[in-house]
Amino acid sequence: MTTMCRAFLAFFCILLATLPVAGESLRIKAGCLFPLTGPGALYGRDSTVAIKLAQKHLESLEPFGYPQVDVIVEDTRSKSLRSLQIARRLIDEDRVDFLCGVVNSSVARAVSGLARDEEVFFIGTDHASPALTSEDLHPYYFRVNNGTRLSMRAGAKYIRETYGNRSEPVKIAFIGPDYEYGYQAWDDLRRFLQQQGTEFEIAGEYWPKVFETDFSPYIQSLLRTDADIVVNGQWGLDFVTFVKQAAQLGLFDRLQFMNFDAGGNYELLAELENDMPLGLVLSARHHVNWPPTERNRAFVEEFREEAGRYPSYAAQGAYAGILAMAEAVRNAGGTGDKDRIRESLEHLTLSLPEDPDGFRSKMDPVNHQILQVQAIGKTIFNNSFAPAKVMLGDWRIYYPPESWPTFKNGS
Amino acid sequence: MLTAVAIAVDGLGFAAWLFLSSVGLTLIYGVMRILNIAHGGFYALGAYTAAWAVGLYTQTGSTIALTYLIIPLAALVAGVVSGLLVERGILRFMYGRDEVLMVLVTYAIFLILEDVTKLIWGTDSYVSYQPAYWLGTIDVFGLPYTVYKFLIIAVAIAVGAALYVTLNHTRVGKLLLVVIEDREVSKALGINVTLFFTVTFVIGATLGALGGALTAPEISVVPGIGAEIIVMAFAVIVIGGMGSIGGAMLGALIVGFSRAAFVHLYPPAELFSIYLVMAAVLAVKPYGLFALAESRKI
Repeated sequence: MTTMCRAFLAFFCILLATLPVAGESLRIKAGCLFPLTGPGALYGRDSTVAIKLAQKHLESLEPFGYPQVDVIVEDTRSKSLRSLQIARRLIDEDRVDFLCGVVNSSVARAVSGLARDEEVFFIGTDHASPALTSEDLHPYYFRVNNGTRLSMRAGAKYIRETYGNRSEPVKIAFIGPDYEYGYQAWDDLRRFLQQQGTEFEIAGEYWPKVFETDFSPYIQSLLRTDADIVVNGQWGLDFVTFVKQAAQLGLFDRLQFMNFDAGGNYELLAELENDMPLGLVLSARHHVNWPPTERNRAFVEEFREEAGRYPSYAAQGAYAGILAMAEAVRNAGGTGDKDRIRESLEHLTLSLPEDPDGFRSKMDPVNHQILQVQAIGKTIFNNSFAPAKVMLGDWRIYYPPESWPTFKNGS
Repeated sequence: MLTAVAIAVDGLGFAAWLFLSSVGLTLIYGVMRILNIAHGGFYALGAYTAAWAVGLYTQTGSTIALTYLIIPLAALVAGVVSGLLVERGILRFMYGRDEVLMVLVTYAIFLILEDVTKLIWGTDSYVSYQPAYWLGTIDVFGLPYTVYKFLIIAVAIAVGAALYVTLNHTRVGKLLLVVIEDREVSKALGINVTLFFTVTFVIGATLGALGGALTAPEISVVPGIGAEIIVMAFAVIVIGGMGSIGGAMLGALIVGFSRAAFVHLYPPAELFSIYLVMAAVLAVKPYGLFALAESRKI
């Protein structure tokens, strides 16, 4: 056998070894970080259920060339250092193609920094701070749940529609968690109000710590203001605690309460049951009763069958995250070429249960933030989704802009 | 005027909670010279036991009035059981060891108690608002306050007074002061020092549990509340002087009013305010307001 023949044979063998076997589907390995214990654990548990649903959905799409996603879920306990250690292990030992998940924005910033250094894609599914898609942004970070900025943009429009015709400026007090998410939310709301020309005055700003157990001094202080609206930035258990204490002290009788990002989450409506006051203006990144489409109804029902409860909005984010990975890798033709995957993610469009008819969630190619519709509703009596007794209704719908909104200073 | 009222009432309410939560800590330090970090664990156990028991009881649909009996009972059970287990099971083998070692030992116990609460009650939150709701609210110059808040203030005053009277005007209190002054001489006089240590530790643990149990109807009981309170309680007893019950009362008032003042006047600095006050006091009185550098005092 000549040297040329041997070389050809060797090349042929290598080629055979690297080609996928006929019929074998492309597989993606993802490592998802969620809090599964401690505060925020429900979001992690819901995300885990949603990942299963997404995997099932992808199985049905396998004949159409969709890759399957193998997912390792790890418990972060909402702690940054622990999350970093887990993420490092997922990258070094498990060799994951994607990191995903993370509920807390501060934890997400830490994980995002590692993803940048290690050049591994990080698909954010449940945190919402604009910092990750602005000053922290890097080529390996993408977020597939609605960001706080879009919630605040919708909130600013809601305030303008409701109070814009008054002769005097609307007085707004803000209370939010004392970390980056809260400050960003308030900053964005003010900027959108200014941008759209809404005249407003700040009647007070309050920053209780995350996982505060006693809001009563802040509620007393809010009661002393002459605010028309109190905009609240709490989420999860903090929101439940705040609402219970505020209801007892009569805050909702005196001020219009609004929470545009997380207060309308189903999990909170279920937790509060009859204690959820009527007439609060709330929103969330996904609603079990909006949009009223067959796709959303099926997702919600499938989740309930799997988990025995209705989903919080975290489920939708995790579901979207798995589909986003599959779509991107499918379009890129595999997991090997990171530039092609990035390009694919930057031009990603997804049809999700949370999309109303005729709309597809789409990625902003510059800021790597998915753009989705935001629905804001009022709390009304509705016991169709037990154990919640009060749901959102009387919806106002806000479509996203063509691209991720930025402000004059570039942020 | 309204701001002053809000600061006064909120400050007093916060101080009462802090005093109830920290007085057991200072009592144990004063008598046993143990900086008991596990105190946060007793607080959490008390809060969880009370919230769980109140929740269980209210599901029966019976009158809420009985919950005011259930809350101290829950604290008593949680405090006595856990206090006895910790003191008899671990600490009695450590007496006489270095204070720093005791800090590490009690820190380990604290971590164990944190996990015990998670094992028993899980990681979800417990809310038992019924006792606070049932008493309703009263208006103080137009600002609504829960009557329950004033109940906590009254209990804090009662606990402080009871401790003062017991320590200064009863035979047991005087014997305790002798034990504090000199263990060896006390033993020589026939005082059962071991029993005094056990009883003191159990009372301290029960007071911690009572702090948690009484607060439970006003807060959401979640994992981590023990860690939150131990930091605050240390600030209170360091300001007042470690081992001094009067100091704990004064420390609680200082921290309570400063926090309330910052919440109402300059909210962004509220969390920082506690440490600012502590640093300011320690700069002037390094051993706290009531403590003497070289002697034990209670």
